[in-house]
Amino acid sequence: MRGAPSGRALAALLAATVGLLWGAPVLSQETVVVRVKLIQGEVPTDPTAPIWNTIPATEFPMSPQVHWPKRILQVTVKSIRVRGVHNTKHIAFLLEYADPTRDPADAAALEFMVGDKKAHFAHGQPMAQVEGGPVNIWYWRSDTPGAADMNAQGFGTLKKQAQQDVQAKGVWKDEKTKVRFKERKLIPRKDAQGQAVKDPKTGDPLFDEETKVVEQEVTGVWRVVFVRALTTSDPNDAQFQPGTFPNIAFAVWDGKKLESGDLKESGSQKAVTSWWYFNAEPPTNYAIYLYGLIAVVVAAGVEYVIIRKVKKGQPA
Amino acid sequence: MTLAMKGAVLLVAVFLIVKFGLPLITAPLPMSLIWLYLFLTTVGIVVYGTLSAESTEALLGPIFRFLGGEGLNGSAKLARLAVLVLVPLLVGWQTYSELVPSSQPPAENRTIHPAPPGEFVGLANPVPNTPENVMMGKGLFSAFCSPCHGAKFNGNGPASDGFNPPPANFVDPGTIAQLQESYLFWRIKKGGVGLNVEGHPWKSAMPRWEVELPDEWIWKIIMAEYAGSGQKPRTWE
Repeated sequence: MRGAPSGRALAALLAATVGLLWGAPVLSQETVVVRVKLIQGEVPTDPTAPIWNTIPATEFPMSPQVHWPKRILQVTVKSIRVRGVHNTKHIAFLLEYADPTRDPADAAALEFMVGDKKAHFAHGQPMAQVEGGPVNIWYWRSDTPGAADMNAQGFGTLKKQAQQDVQAKGVWKDEKTKVRFKERKLIPRKDAQGQAVKDPKTGDPLFDEETKVVEQEVTGVWRVVFVRALTTSDPNDAQFQPGTFPNIAFAVWDGKKLESGDLKESGSQKAVTSWWYFNAEPPTNYAIYLYGLIAVVVAAGVEYVIIRKVKKGQPA
Repeated sequence: MTLAMKGAVLLVAVFLIVKFGLPLITAPLPMSLIWLYLFLTTVGIVVYGTLSAESTEALLGPIFRFLGGEGLNGSAKLARLAVLVLVPLLVGWQTYSELVPSSQPPAENRTIHPAPPGEFVGLANPVPNTPENVMMGKGLFSAFCSPCHGAKFNGNGPASDGFNPPPANFVDPGTIAQLQESYLFWRIKKGGVGLNVEGHPWKSAMPRWEVELPDEWIWKIIMAEYAGSGQKPRTWE
């Protein structure tokens, strides 16, 4: 019976190690990705097409555009939900966001890098130490049919392309939706007697910041679909390959007309994100399963040879 | 405890330390690096265990007997069978995992505090650190910086949510407390687009404030950031 107890313990340890490694998650990144699902048939050009209900959405918080003048500090759209599908030839993105008013100047845009050079998310503006590339912007506005296919490489360089490759369609519905966003408030700090507490060094009144996730019901939702071929013949276009992770950024304008006559958001005053990623699901490569099976057979064969040698008393 | 058992215990201990222990004091390690550490440990065990014929038998004997099934019965026999089945399956799974297209975006090895250009190294703040200047700096911070960096200097401003990477949290001792005032002057003056390639300038929403703010205001904002966050600039003295 020599070897049995240590054999059991060894097996238990091996099993524990295997279990730990098996269950060990890969290093995850705090990066949000739009999963563009591979579908059969034509990609939907209609924002209300039923297929969109079967595609999982990725939600991106939006920031007021504070990066360059003219800035804005409060925007209507606090977050945007994005879905994507492709059929290896065409790709479609559905943007969905709450906007309580339907206005002619309501607009949305997608942005991509063009070529291999990195481009700054703010219209591909020049970078001091890195040679950047241009961006490709797909722009939709509710009072204009279709979409504008544009390029920019720096502020003031936005230009419509000669070859327009993008389609877009938006539908606004007065349906109720719940919007969740972070709300921050500064609350003056008070002592037990209700008196304002001041910084002992500077004499400044002290505040406590309260951050909470607020859920609001908003009536009014825009759904906007952008469609384009995955690859085009236009060198000014961003080109997409399934399985890769191109950068994507979003912008939304609430074109509501204020009493002053100005638009609530227009031009550089908009809700934005910086770069995130999307991934067009690659077609299934069945050879992968075959290679996995071959690996199982080879490993089992090696095991067999080792055990055979061990049983014959020859160390492997 | 046999040498083989000691080796197995050591392997498990190394795995637990690098997988769960190290992340308590530093960033989590990728599985590729964990596998490398386990491989090196295994090599060390084998080298140590094969220094003499006696130690070779102590190390490999139990393993060979386990693999050969010599003297095993009951649960040990079942365990052997399980290991013999699991190992090829794991190899197959690993092969599949390596080949299947990744669902994770490429790793972003962004350097948070890349080296500044030479002209911004070692600059002294020319503005006297007086309560009046700090107060003015706080007002400027409130007007220009707090929408992203937050009224409490913690990077949690109302405009911060949509940006990746998020605005810096100055209260965190890993940010401005590790930097000299001249470094902040460079970052504020030149903005995100002033970063070198390691800093991934194409993602940064930090404005290039030199086009809107005079240098004196920037130095005052720097004083306010240290005062408001309760940090002190790094010095070489």
